[in-house]
Parts: sequence; structure tokens; C-alpha cells
Amino acid sequence: MIRCEGLVHAYPDGTRALDGLDLSIERGERVAIVGRNGSGKSTLVRHWNGLLRPTAGRVLIDGVPTEGRRVAELARVVGLTFQDPDRQLFARTCRAEVAFGARNVGLRGRALETAVAAALDGVGLAGRAAANPYDLGPSKRRLLTLACVLAMRTPIVVLDEPTMGLDTLEIARVSAVVASLATEGRTVVAISHDARFVASSFDRVVPLDAGRVVEDGPPG
Amino acid sequence: MLVAPGAVVAGVFRRVMVSAILVTLPLAIAVGLVSVFTRPGATVLFALGPFDATLEGADFAARVVLRLVVMASALALFGLTTPVRALIADLERRGVSPRPAFALGAVVGAVPALAARARDVRDAQRARGLDTEGTVLRRLAAVVPLAGPIVLGAIHQVEARSLALEARAFGRPGRRHLLWAPPDTGSQRLARWLLLAGLAAVLAGSMTGFLPRLP
Amino acid sequence: MALELRSVSYRYPVYRRLALDGVNLRVDDGEIVGLAGPNQAGKSTVCLVACGLAPASIGGELTGEVLVDGVSVRGLAIHELAGRVGIVFANPASQLSAIGGSVFEEVALGPVNLGLPVDESVARTRAAITALGIEELAERRPDRLSGGQMQLVAIASMLAMRPRTLVLDEPVAELDPDGRRLVGEALRSLARAGTALLIAEHDRELLASLGARVVAIDAGRLPVPA
Repeated sequence: MIRCEGLVHAYPDGTRALDGLDLSIERGERVAIVGRNGSGKSTLVRHWNGLLRPTAGRVLIDGVPTEGRRVAELARVVGLTFQDPDRQLFARTCRAEVAFGARNVGLRGRALETAVAAALDGVGLAGRAAANPYDLGPSKRRLLTLACVLAMRTPIVVLDEPTMGLDTLEIARVSAVVASLATEGRTVVAISHDARFVASSFDRVVPLDAGRVVEDGPPG
Repeated sequence: MLVAPGAVVAGVFRRVMVSAILVTLPLAIAVGLVSVFTRPGATVLFALGPFDATLEGADFAARVVLRLVVMASALALFGLTTPVRALIADLERRGVSPRPAFALGAVVGAVPALAARARDVRDAQRARGLDTEGTVLRRLAAVVPLAGPIVLGAIHQVEARSLALEARAFGRPGRRHLLWAPPDTGSQRLARWLLLAGLAAVLAGSMTGFLPRLP
Repeated sequence: MALELRSVSYRYPVYRRLALDGVNLRVDDGEIVGLAGPNQAGKSTVCLVACGLAPASIGGELTGEVLVDGVSVRGLAIHELAGRVGIVFANPASQLSAIGGSVFEEVALGPVNLGLPVDESVARTRAAITALGIEELAERRPDRLSGGQMQLVAIASMLAMRPRTLVLDEPVAELDPDGRRLVGEALRSLARAGTALLIAEHDRELLASLGARVVAIDAGRLPVPA
């Protein structure tokens, strides 16, 4: 489903964020990417929806190389949430916020309504659909961005620090979402520092260090 | 005349000129167009409909634009070469409140952070399928999802930072004993006096008719 | 008694509902108290009230008493409150002043703002930097540090004003495991040195490793009604 072959990403000054990384993730897997800050985690996942392009090597999504494919097009296959929810929320209501991404990937009418309602319900925000995102606390806003990507119904879902700042109940919600995505046959990848969340919700851990995969396997 | 060599010495020539030109460009275009076509003049260069482009108009426009660029580049040179803390320290030494300088410094310092934030917002919205590469209409529609989080988030960050600063007694009335003062060498003092003297001479010269009238 | 909240109720400006409703909390000299509870329960509000930023800076209505070192702080202006209780927030970068050229200058900002004479400011800064173990960072630029290191600078910046109590609002929430370890160790040594700590935190392991007495808050109430 996701394949990285000799992936290199270098900055203009020559430093390599990714240094010949090889990785293969199959459909339906639940994978956690771990590693200290600066190990290349965020850089890696941004290659999957085309926000970043390889300096060398290649990335294949569903067997097709990402080269030449626009971000707007790849976004229909790879949904990605970001570490800072406040860098994407702009709509007046939670419902409008969640509908934004879904509409961009082509959902309309009844299908759109259902996707939005299901997404909000999945993260426990069904009752706040008409509320302004900034009237919710920061942890609920993080759940809202999760709903935004859920409504896009992408086959691959990538989450960047989905449990940062969340309390026990909220983390349980995210775990439940990951589990239900997996039962639907979707591929879920998360970047996370939360060891307990990783151990309970993922069946494979990919540690990164200095832009390469260190040792791949089930949660220790 | 002095700005350019100053900028070269400080090693920021390109940045100064680029920012100066970018800042004055809209104004320059507006002034240029108006002057060229509407200033009374005898020598007509070409005609555009009911409007005549005159040489006098072009001359006037050129001088105004040059003045604007000089002013903007002087400001840019100042902004790029003066560390905020030097400005604050110096103002305080002379008894002026440092807060306006801090506010200004914070705004200027916020520019790179704002640029980084804008990039992140754009990435996040593109990841949600926002098309930033399509038609003009598409790109217009992209303005709100792009501008909204940039502005709101920037406001949030300012709030967070000002809370933390207040907790460190920022804004407390009364004198502060700073640990550091910007260096003021003999040659810097001499340069200041020379510049002021030069300015006085130029003003005196133009007022007595010795030098051509300053625009 | 380093810090005490007596029957404190607080309402944010504009909002109608009470964020805190009859909160009673005591932190003894040198004690470590952990504040646990779900999000939106009032943990951050307790921190803002404890250091006086609420209501002095952000407004709102406060009833009840907030006592720092045994003295009520009602009605004090923000700059009069500074230095009595230190406060550290979750996001490391937004606590930097952005005008400190080096970590040393950044940490010194608090004492300097208090109007202290130069040698006193320098002495306090040196002591805070040593207490946090960040001597080798003293000449570095604050904005080039890792998240954990920035957080240590933020703690040192507060400590330099010599408060007897430090309030921390989810200090490790945004840090990677390295950063958590760094800050956890620093807090342990501060606790040993006698600073009272009030830490709002989800990370129960961190609280346990500090030997904290954990109190729970829920829906603005502390203690939580049975």
C-alpha cells in the first residue's frame, strides 16, 4: 500500500532528513512510527501525500509512484492530520470544518452528510456539531482534526501525534477509532510518543533514527 | 547615497534592497501611473486614450519613486542590522520606555515565525484536498482556509507569550538595571557626529541656495 | 504554607459558567502536589489562579482567597505578583521572550524586570541555571534548543525570581521521551532542594516518580464530591 524505496530527503544545505529509507506497509496494517524529535518522522509521512518530494529514491502509493501526482489528488488516498490542530481550523462550526475535507475529495449531498455525522460521532463530538471549534478546548480540537480526516474516507489514514495532551477517556476514543478503521480494512499509521497508546493500538512499530528505519517489529 | 554602502558593509545589501523594493512597489506603481499620465507637461511621449504620458510626468514619478525606495531601504537597513535588545537597551539608557521598542521588535521578529506558520497552514489545508495549484477562482476560494488559521493561531500564540512575559514582571513600572548595554565605540560616536554634521550642512546648503533645492 | 486556595470560585470573562467552583487546595513548603483530572476539568484554570494571572491579567471574577506564603494576593497588580509563584506552561517555545540573546540573558529577564541591581540579578540567574543543570546551555541561543531544553530554560527563568512555589501546567505534554526525562529529572532535583511544586499532569508515572500527593479535580470542583 505504501512503499518507500531508498527514500532520501535533503535540505538545501545538504543535511539529510531521510537517508535512504526503505519501508513497506501493507493494506490494513496498523503501524506506529516512533523516534526522537528530528529523526525524520514528520518528513517521512509528508512524502506520502506529496507535500514533500524525494531528493532521491521513490515513494509508491497503492503501487503507483507519487511522482507527478498533485497533493490534491493524493489527498484522496492518504489522509493526514497534523501535530498542531490550530494550524488548520478555520470554519465557524465543527460540522463545516469536518465537511471541508470531505467536500474537497468529492463527497456531496447525502454521502457528505453521512460521512460528516459519522466522523463527528466517532470522535464523540456529535453534540458539538454546531459549536465553534475555538469554543472547544485544545484536546477536543485535536479530536476534531481526527474527525476531519475520517470524513474524507481515505484508504490510508496517517495521524501525527493523535494523543498529545489528551486525557484517558479521549485516548480511549482515539484507540477505538484506530480499531474501527482497521476493521474497515483501512491502513492506519500514527506518529506517537505515547508508549501505552502504541502498545495497545498498533501491531507494528517502526523506529526511526537519523532518517532511517532502525528495527522493525511488533511493540516490545 | 549612504544607505547602499552601509548595507554592503553590513552584508545585507540584497535583503535590504529586496525588502525596500517589495514594500514600495505597490505605492510606486500607483504614484508612477498617476504622475506619468496626469502631471502637466509639454513633451508628450505617447498617448493612451484620453491620457497623455508626459516626460515631465515620468521625471516626477521617477524622483518620487527613488525617494520612496531610499526611505524604505534606510528603514530596512535599520531593521535588519539592529538587534532588538540593542534598541531596547539603548532606549532605556536614555530614559525612554522600552515597551514600544519591544512591541516593534516582537512584530518584526514574528515575521519568520509567521512565515513558517503560513507554510504549515498551507500544508495542512492541502492535505485536506485544498487545491492551491488550480484556476484563479479555485485559489480565491482558498484564501479563507489559508488566512483564517494563520491569523487566529498567531493571535493565540501572542496571548500565550504575553501571559508568560507578564508572569516575569514585564511591564513593571520603574527602572531596570540591565545586564548588557550595546557597545558604543569611539568610531561609532564619531560617525554619528559626522552624519549629523553632514545633514546640517546639506540642509543649510539647500536653504541658502548653495545646493539645488531638495525635492 | 506555600500556597493555598480557599473556597475559590472563578469565572472566565464572557463565559457564564463557573470554571472553578469552591476549590480548596493546599501546598505545603517543599511539597509536591499533582493535579489530575480529565481535560476541561479546570486544571489549567487552577494554575492560572494560583499564580495570579487569573484574574489580574486575563480578567474574570474570582471569589474566595488565594494565599501565597500565607498572604492574600487579592487585588495585587500583575507585576506585584511576579516572582511570588512561578508558572510554566506546556508549550516551550511560546514562553521564550524572543529578545534574550543567550539562555543566560533569557533567564535573567525576570530578575532584571523586577528592578534588581545587576549583581543580584546575575547571582540569581547563575543559581537558577545551576539548579536546573543547564550550565552548558548558558551561551546558546534559546530558540535553537530542543523542546526539553527550552522547557528547562522556561523553568529556570521562573526560578530566577526566587518564588517558593512553582506551578506547572502539563510541563511535559508536548515533549518527546528525551524531553520528558530531562524535565522529570530537573523537577526531581528541584523538589529535593525544597521548592514546592504544583503540577497539573496526565502523566501519572511522572507524578509517581516525583512522589507527588495527587489530588483530583473534576468539573471545577476540588475535592471532587463523593
